[in-house]
Amino acid sequence: MARKNFDVSSLMQSKVTWAVIAELLILLVCFIIRPDFFSISYQPSTGMLYGSLIDIVNRSAEITIISMGMTLVIALGGTDLSVGALVAVAGAIALKFLRWDVLTYNTPGDYTVCPYIFVLTVPLIVCALMGLFNGFLVAKGGIQPIIATLILMVCGRGVAQILTDGKQFTTGYSPFRIIGQGSFLYLPMPIIITILVVLGVAIFTRKTAFGAFVESVGVNPSASRLSGIKADTVILIVFMITGLLSGIAGLIYSSRIMSNDSNNAGLNFEMDAILAVVIGGTNMSGGKFSLAGTVIGSLIIRTIVTFVYYFGIVAEATMAFKALIIAVVIVLQSQPVREYFAKRAARRGGESR
Amino acid sequence: MTNNRQSILSKLTNPKYIMVYATIGIFFVIYAFGAFMYGDKGFMTVRTFVNLFIDNAYFGISAVGMTMVLITGGIDLSVGAVASLTGMFIAYGTTVLGLHPMTCIFAALVMGVGLGLLMGWVIHYLNVPPFITTLTGMFFARGVCSLISRESIDIHHPMIDALAGWKIYLMKYSAGHWVRIRPIAFINFNVILFVVMIIAGTFILQRTRFGRNIYAIGGNEQSASLMGLPVGRTKVLVYGFNGLCSVLAGISYALYVKSGWNLSLQGGELEVITCAVIGGTLLTGGVGYMIGTLFGVLLKSVIPALITFNGNLLSWWGKIATGGLLLLFICIQRFVVTSSARKK
Amino acid sequence: MPQKNILEMKGITIQFPGVKALDGVDFSLREGEIHSLLGENGAGKSTLIKCLTGVNRMDEGQILLDGREIRPSGPSQAMELGISTVFQEVNLCPNLSVAENIFVGRQPMKHGQINWREINSRAEELMSRFHLNIDVTRPLSYYSTAIQQMTSIARAVDVKAKILILDEPTSSLDENEVQLLFNVMRELRANGMGIIFITHFLDQIYAVSDRMTILRNGHLIGTYGINELGKVELVTKMVGKDMDVIFNLKRAEVPGDADYMLKAEHIGDASHVKDISITLKKGELVGFAGLLGSGRTETAEMLFGASRTVKGEIFVDGESITLRQPFDAIKARIAFCPEDRKRDGIIGDLSIRENIMLAVQSRKGFMHPMTKQEQTELADKYIKLLGIATPDCEKKAGELSGGNQQKVILARWMAAEPKILILDEPTRGIDIGAKAEIQRLMLEMCGEGVSVIFISSELDEIIRCSNRIIIMRDREKVAEVDGSSCTQQDILKIIAEGAA
Repeated sequence: MARKNFDVSSLMQSKVTWAVIAELLILLVCFIIRPDFFSISYQPSTGMLYGSLIDIVNRSAEITIISMGMTLVIALGGTDLSVGALVAVAGAIALKFLRWDVLTYNTPGDYTVCPYIFVLTVPLIVCALMGLFNGFLVAKGGIQPIIATLILMVCGRGVAQILTDGKQFTTGYSPFRIIGQGSFLYLPMPIIITILVVLGVAIFTRKTAFGAFVESVGVNPSASRLSGIKADTVILIVFMITGLLSGIAGLIYSSRIMSNDSNNAGLNFEMDAILAVVIGGTNMSGGKFSLAGTVIGSLIIRTIVTFVYYFGIVAEATMAFKALIIAVVIVLQSQPVREYFAKRAARRGGESR
Repeated sequence: MTNNRQSILSKLTNPKYIMVYATIGIFFVIYAFGAFMYGDKGFMTVRTFVNLFIDNAYFGISAVGMTMVLITGGIDLSVGAVASLTGMFIAYGTTVLGLHPMTCIFAALVMGVGLGLLMGWVIHYLNVPPFITTLTGMFFARGVCSLISRESIDIHHPMIDALAGWKIYLMKYSAGHWVRIRPIAFINFNVILFVVMIIAGTFILQRTRFGRNIYAIGGNEQSASLMGLPVGRTKVLVYGFNGLCSVLAGISYALYVKSGWNLSLQGGELEVITCAVIGGTLLTGGVGYMIGTLFGVLLKSVIPALITFNGNLLSWWGKIATGGLLLLFICIQRFVVTSSARKK
Repeated sequence: MPQKNILEMKGITIQFPGVKALDGVDFSLREGEIHSLLGENGAGKSTLIKCLTGVNRMDEGQILLDGREIRPSGPSQAMELGISTVFQEVNLCPNLSVAENIFVGRQPMKHGQINWREINSRAEELMSRFHLNIDVTRPLSYYSTAIQQMTSIARAVDVKAKILILDEPTSSLDENEVQLLFNVMRELRANGMGIIFITHFLDQIYAVSDRMTILRNGHLIGTYGINELGKVELVTKMVGKDMDVIFNLKRAEVPGDADYMLKAEHIGDASHVKDISITLKKGELVGFAGLLGSGRTETAEMLFGASRTVKGEIFVDGESITLRQPFDAIKARIAFCPEDRKRDGIIGDLSIRENIMLAVQSRKGFMHPMTKQEQTELADKYIKLLGIATPDCEKKAGELSGGNQQKVILARWMAAEPKILILDEPTRGIDIGAKAEIQRLMLEMCGEGVSVIFISSELDEIIRCSNRIIIMRDREKVAEVDGSSCTQQDILKIIAEGAA
């Protein structure tokens, strides 16, 4: 009996629990208002499943992918503000390779100017290098991550603009369309990519000791170094992963719109990603992280948006609505409130005995 | 040793001012560069200099509050959205609802300061990181903004027109009477508001207990509370004051563009933070000066001015140059911190 | 002449969940006396202080200040009543000037503005009372820990305190700084202030205090005049056991022909240490004696690769090695328990299990992870071996007491199976019982063939354990003496005068 009480109280203390409860509640409200919210149908013409739930997961792909890297950065006690700008950079490079010289090929169509392999790899390499630059400033320069990444956040979009001469290209190249709009195993491609990324990061951190090293460095960098962890290498790898994942998200984003949009691609993605991580229960001061929590956090953010669209609440209210729900989740997760509920749970357990 | 303290030289060489000197120094270097390159196009005129103030007053006003927030070790991401919402209040209120501008401004003040105080309360008493709290505040303000209108609304009201059009021409004394200097340069309401806010900010930070408590909290919050300082009250008030600054910045911006738009000043919060950082404020808290912030704003705004004077460069280069500037300052800060640590 | 009591605490009882932290403790403080409060960790010293400053609520008992009953609600109210506390860690703001740290929150005002001139001149006056002529307008972080500590005291004194509580103020000060602090304490005593002094250093108690009160497990053992109780009796009362029984240690036995495990020849780092040569045999324990800043820690850091060795050569087991980072040292089976446990040792938010497995794991690299079961087995083994007081290995290491945290760090390195173990002040700030246990463990490891370098500020423990003692002074090795035949006086003389 005592054992069970302890569990309830520690469960109430866990932030992930509250995130799951919040997501379920929002879904429940959706279901009550529109019972067909959960219905999923198969569209033979595209070979894809359709439905609100599928849509939520599909549309959250970019944020989920980025927030996998962001989780690690935050576990190190930092934040990466540059991810949104990197999304724009990736899109700009991809479209640059697809269209290269707009004067010669002046109408968008089902072609690519440079080999397709460049379109896929170069943006990822560049983004990973930019991530490495962030990591270098943090690890070797000893600069606070939030400032170090502010640099690329401020000038990243400028770089994207200059790469494309400030122009917006569009393309009709069908293999490129698959990334954002294709399907595999009845599921939209972004979902497949997201699953692969989440699994990849989870395996890399939890099936090796890398995750433990990240947490250790996040809590106490000096002690970690003296325990033999190469803290600098850990930081470099984490920022590089985040850059790479931003690149992947950038490819998905630009494939969805089949264009590059250096001003708006990835706008506020850094904010959403950080929010997803925090809602998912990872502490902003670093330390223990939860990838599963982050996925739920990202889903919560997207569910709210879908919810608003779906129920015809004026679309303009999305942001305000999102803010209100997030505020509730965050207040519920805040330390004083969690302690209050944990205490109550423990007391009630005691009384029933 | 007593003499040592009183000597002005020793006071000026206090290591805590190095970052401010760096900002001022680099501003003048860049300005001199502009004068050298584009002196013939009129870069060296009073007008160019005054225009830096006119075109960036709203950033500067917001940066006053932001500097205080950063000194406490916090951050406020909601300033751009709150300023935008203020503009929307004024535009929608006067143009669509036919209210008096003062009513709208009053409503905006209640909204901005109230939101600031609320965020401060959540940050301190619920222990939610400032980044997340103010991010939510930003989403909220932006959302309300779009809820009011998604179109840009022009502002037409005699009082606003009068205030926006009011200007003092800079004069010089020549041949026995006062004449306007050429090319014509003037200061307007926004410039005066900006300068007044900088002075008020300096006074608060340097001459009041409230201001010193801000520094103490940024230095070490736990110590500050063990020393018996009112940590909670100070933090809540700082965010409230920053809300006030955002509203004033919003008014200033509304006067500048004479319209309200739900997407105006997007990303403005990070530009304001950049100004403060270039001005020598540390994001870790505890260090920062209003005079540094003033020059941070000027330094950041001289770059677009240079690009305009050049005429051939794409405006994106401005972003890249700002990023480069940020990198430079961070390296200087880093160097200052390590070299002063080595002294011990 | 019996002085009047300014503070009386009667029958103080504090109940924490599961334990009685204090059980009917009486304590009194006279005007103009320095009263030491003694006891092992967990004896209830800090609980008593927290009760006096209103951090903890008492369940029973009463506090009388100048004969009137008080119930302070927190540190700031206690301060208003005239009770000021100076903690072990400096609780000031590093970014503010020395002067401002003294006056922040109650700055003198003039015309609605802060009067900086008065702040600075009054601060200068205060600091000069402590014989410190410094520029008080410079930021606090510009000065040494000792001056920072003095600044806290100046702040405490200036609020017109009647009672000053000094909670382990000396643990990060060197000998001269301690003397400076004692002078200040004596001066304050002469002015009629009552001082409660908490420290782990027994010598300091005898040097400065008038009376002492001993606590053990939340109970009052007694209050004694300083001349009533000898050192041995004092320790016996604190621990509840005889000192000889606690420290029943046997020095490691090293055969004369044992191999050299470590040889460092003329090593030096970039700034402090110029030229040091050290040898260490298999199974030998070498003590490093010397004052704080004598180069002990810098040398240890070089041997562990924590700071860069710019000259000289290091041989481990006869092979020359280059140490660029701690990882290299760990590969060579060198282990290092750093001096600052909180900053460089324990990883507070991680579990005991993760803390223990860290060094082993980092030697293996992150691509060869240990399973959770392996980790748990490893952790449980050392929890049992070292007697770490915890319900299980998943408890956060940061929640343990100081002595247990030190054991966790020791376990981390024992698990890494080192050939050379460097311990920098492993017994600082922990109670006598745990101290003896750590010394015993150290010697046991020597018996198993591990070579140990033991750095400590407390000469008696160095002499008790070491085979050889290397004496450092001004960042140089000045002498090497035999551990079994030298006395504390010999070493002190060398430290004070230089060459042997």
